[in-house]
Amino acid sequence: MGVVGLIVRLRFAMWRTAMSRSPLHLVSSIVGALAALGVLTLLGPGLVLLAGQPVRITALTVPLFAVITLMWGVLSLIATGVDSILDPARFAVLPLRASELARGLLAATCTGIPALMLAGLALAQTASWLGHPPAVPAALLAGVLGLLTAILFSRAVTSALAAVMTTRAGRVLGAVVVSLVTLLPLGLNLLLTTGSLAADLSSFDATRSATVASWTPVGWAWALPFDVATGRWGAAAVHMALALLLIAVLWVVWVRRLDRTLTSPLTSAGGQRIGHGRLLPAVLGTSPTATVAARRIRAWYRDSRLVGIALRTAVLPVFFVAQAVLTGMPGLAGVGVVTLAVFAGLTLMNDLAFDGPAWWLHVAVGVRGWEDRLGRALASAVVFGPVVLLTYAVSVAIGVIGRPVPWLTVIVVAFLASLGLAVAVGAVLPGTAPRTGGNPFAATSGGAAQGCLTAIVSFVGPVVLTLPVAVVAAVTAGSQPGRWLTLALGTAYGLGLLALGVILGGRRLDRRSPEVLGQLAHAQL
Amino acid sequence: MTEVGPGDPALELRGLVKEFRGRRVVHALTLAVPRGSLFGLVGPNGAGKTTTLSMATGLLRPDGGTARVLGHDVWADPAAAKAAMGVAPDGMRLFEQLSGRELLLYVGALRRMPVDVTAARAAELLAVLDLAEDASTVVADYSAGMVKKISLAAALIHAPRLLVLDEPFEAVDPVSGQTIRTILRRYVASGGTVVMSSHVMELVEGLCDRVAVIAGGRVLAEDTIGGLTRGGSLHDRFLELVGATDSAGKGLTWLG
Repeated sequence: MGVVGLIVRLRFAMWRTAMSRSPLHLVSSIVGALAALGVLTLLGPGLVLLAGQPVRITALTVPLFAVITLMWGVLSLIATGVDSILDPARFAVLPLRASELARGLLAATCTGIPALMLAGLALAQTASWLGHPPAVPAALLAGVLGLLTAILFSRAVTSALAAVMTTRAGRVLGAVVVSLVTLLPLGLNLLLTTGSLAADLSSFDATRSATVASWTPVGWAWALPFDVATGRWGAAAVHMALALLLIAVLWVVWVRRLDRTLTSPLTSAGGQRIGHGRLLPAVLGTSPTATVAARRIRAWYRDSRLVGIALRTAVLPVFFVAQAVLTGMPGLAGVGVVTLAVFAGLTLMNDLAFDGPAWWLHVAVGVRGWEDRLGRALASAVVFGPVVLLTYAVSVAIGVIGRPVPWLTVIVVAFLASLGLAVAVGAVLPGTAPRTGGNPFAATSGGAAQGCLTAIVSFVGPVVLTLPVAVVAAVTAGSQPGRWLTLALGTAYGLGLLALGVILGGRRLDRRSPEVLGQLAHAQL
Repeated sequence: MTEVGPGDPALELRGLVKEFRGRRVVHALTLAVPRGSLFGLVGPNGAGKTTTLSMATGLLRPDGGTARVLGHDVWADPAAAKAAMGVAPDGMRLFEQLSGRELLLYVGALRRMPVDVTAARAAELLAVLDLAEDASTVVADYSAGMVKKISLAAALIHAPRLLVLDEPFEAVDPVSGQTIRTILRRYVASGGTVVMSSHVMELVEGLCDRVAVIAGGRVLAEDTIGGLTRGGSLHDRFLELVGATDSAGKGLTWLG
């Protein structure tokens, strides 16, 4: 008990320090708490209302919570390291047994906002079975077992994956797998838009999906009240045994991994050798700008933190195009490619944060601000320009973009404007990035883990900057010379914005480089 | 650009002040490093050595005072000052996705050196510093000592006239340490200037020409090694200057 209490208290102490030292932590904690509260107020009452419904509808809790448990594991992969306050490796020098530490870490996790939210949902789940009194204790038990399953599942998955992540090749591989897994919701969305979902309560029957979900590992625990309410005591016994067994297995897996972490905390990567890299200098030249660009281009395939982002950005358009094809809405593909262009441009927003304190080299050498800015913009253009253009070309070829030239105008302007915006704002608010070699999953997009201001700027900025051209492109769409003239003028306008971004951002770096370096010292979480 | 006279010190700090969160850590620090000297900066932990060197190299903006490198004001004319010096800070990360060789080529390109010159110097530096075998390994996989050596190489590649090194010998093995010592002595003999911080007194005593003792953000003493130690050891003189008391002698009796 002593160790458990100690670790929980340690967690709160470190949390408090982190929040009092950086407003970013405070803001993100508040936003997180509000988001959790939002989910609770959104789902909670709905769950409680299920109490008045027949079993075939109340059974909805089983598939719902099975999916929540599954998503818990998936999301923890993305969020791992966000709460790295209690990194087990830090306990390596203390005389602690893995099982003791595991109990302490489990207790600390349970006092966190996400776990409290899940516990609230589990309670609501119990309330939704109030209409079937025998099932209520079963629902309560299911809530406890389900909560444990979700938390241990995420812990076991992340710690097992962390083992793969000790080598750089493993990290890249892991980033690939995880980014594809996080795209799952998009795939689900695709399925939902194609199939028509019957939402008529009178004919609605969740029994079948509940039965299916109850026989998946994530559904074992949550199936208990459903089994009891339908009087299938045998199934209930089997489900409970399986749920307990799963918890035991997850516990053992996690404790084993912890044991390994405690005895070999130094995750040595071993010498990774790389090629000479003569291609990029030959293509781009050897000016400081080109050199910065070449380094950032290399980072997009060498740095596991960026590989995931690049991959997601590259796979995203496939969904847009597929959705446009399936729904037959011509505007959707165009909007999809424009969104891709904006995302691709905005990835530059926290580019400095990915360099982190290592950026001192640019300051010490005296790299001019505009060279730094232009080099990074060039790198993003080289990496994402082809992706954007290819998606556009494919969309046009399969006929989902109705008016190719006006859309191309908007896409080009959106890309250039976002690049310009990102290089200018990125010099003032360098944002945050996951630590090098630390955790390759966190900070999924440019705006995710950053302050609210950056998020607003990245949301509003591209729209405001692109809208005038979009209006002109729509107006001139009817005339052949007008279309092309708009494309030419739009491109010039976009290049102008990029130049402005490079100059303004560069000037800021020239004047305030030591201060930016100070910001970067805390940029990696 | 300011007129640079041959008599200017290699590094001249005048009245440097730095405050963190209202707490003053460097108090109007003044120091002149003559050209062609190997200058040691010693002081206890938290004395302000790294802060001072950061302000001298353009990495940290001082709250007051000036820093001049070979006559160029670091904060008024940073480009000229930074072109004249090579810097290897302590504990600052490098671009870890680059290999050792790539890092040197990167620095060379940023300093607008011709590619063939950079490549030749990089190869030579890697060989001399015993990094040739790991030239193609990414810096992320380097050990602490190797990181020190590649930082030194990156600071040397453009043949600067002033070299500012923060703890250059920390974590470096004795063989490489001897190599670095030889490099630094030869560099100084050919007219270069080195400013290095360290808390290993024996090292500074054996290597440096002049030494400044810093504690609490102030210069306590600054002289040639001989002038400062006056026959005794730098170690004893240092303890005397910073006013160390034998606090470990009385307590900790339970440790045996």
